[in-house]
Amino acid sequence: MDPVVVGILRATLAFVFAQAALHKLRDHAAFDTIVRGHRLVPDASAPAVTGLLLVGELAAALALLAPGAARLGGGLALTLLTVYSLAIGTNLARGRRDVDCGCLGPGHRQPLTGWLLVRNGLLAALAAACLIPASPRTVSWLDVVSVFAGALVLILVQSAATRLAGMGFRTLAARRSA
Amino acid sequence: MSEALVVSHLVLWALVVVLALVVVALTRQIGLLHERIAPVGALALRRGPQVGEATPEMWLPDLSGRRVRVGGADALARRTLIFFLSPSCPVCKTLLPTLERVLAEQSGGVRLVYASDGPSDDHRAFVRERGLDETEYVLSESLGLHFAVSKLPYAVLLDPAGVIRAIGIVNTREHLESLFEADRLGVASLQEYLGGLEVELATRSTDAADRASAASGGRS
Repeated sequence: MDPVVVGILRATLAFVFAQAALHKLRDHAAFDTIVRGHRLVPDASAPAVTGLLLVGELAAALALLAPGAARLGGGLALTLLTVYSLAIGTNLARGRRDVDCGCLGPGHRQPLTGWLLVRNGLLAALAAACLIPASPRTVSWLDVVSVFAGALVLILVQSAATRLAGMGFRTLAARRSA
Repeated sequence: MSEALVVSHLVLWALVVVLALVVVALTRQIGLLHERIAPVGALALRRGPQVGEATPEMWLPDLSGRRVRVGGADALARRTLIFFLSPSCPVCKTLLPTLERVLAEQSGGVRLVYASDGPSDDHRAFVRERGLDETEYVLSESLGLHFAVSKLPYAVLLDPAGVIRAIGIVNTREHLESLFEADRLGVASLQEYLGGLEVELATRSTDAADRASAASGGRS
């Protein structure tokens, strides 16, 4: 695949995971609550699970940015997204929609919807594309512009899409928890 | 040529980034609108049965004197919307077509019962003029008293078991929809939804309105 395309995908995914990791770093306790809310692991192990996810996200973001570690980063990202999708899918199958997804960070309660699965699927497709090695060619300054601008646009559009996916119930849930 | 391509490439990227920023700004704006247009319950008065209370089965006379069941469990597992109206209430009339449209949008079937009281002659003419279902038009003072209806139009939404899911004054399409929205979200009333200080204000103004309407002769 062309290095520009791979560059855009890697930069976008790195940003998404770095942001997620930053949210967990800033408010570890809130994410413990979110992990417990999914009712998939024993309550006592929630802090450990949050820590594990945090480390995984940081590692994925760094590996995606590091030259030569694209496959490792893509693989980590794919694994994390699969875990999240399974967690969301299980709760949706149980009919528990009023679970905070934690996708937007703490303070933005977002209920689970099928849209989140679609979003994760798209992100997973991006991660899978990172596994394809970039074809070698000389990279000019214009390619660098393309990578930065392309990644910026993808990041903005995905944050807008995530916001739209959780709209509707969000405000009510936030008020209820207040 | 290659210079022109480079320039167009840069200009296009700039435009795409600007468009993406606009999209983000729009979603934020939509989020704000969602917060302002709250999915509320109806404005409930503090008297009479509250949300969550069961309604006993009542057999009440319709226009031709036949007894119609209101409250209790519905044999067809439908929800019931009791719509309190009066031929002399202008808001009720303007709301009738809206009522039909709102009900048509609801899934799972909703039984609509019109409720009023007074001499049946006025109501017969009203029902004919408006093309209402006269077999679901109840004339009973006790039903209005049971739900403590003091202002019209007033509506009560019962679940299939006859438990009140939403109750309150309905003046507009938004109010009507909010009854079903309240049922869907499990919010008892506008007051519960707004919470805090706003509750105080809403109740105070409602109480003031109650007193004013009581002073001016009650029911419209």
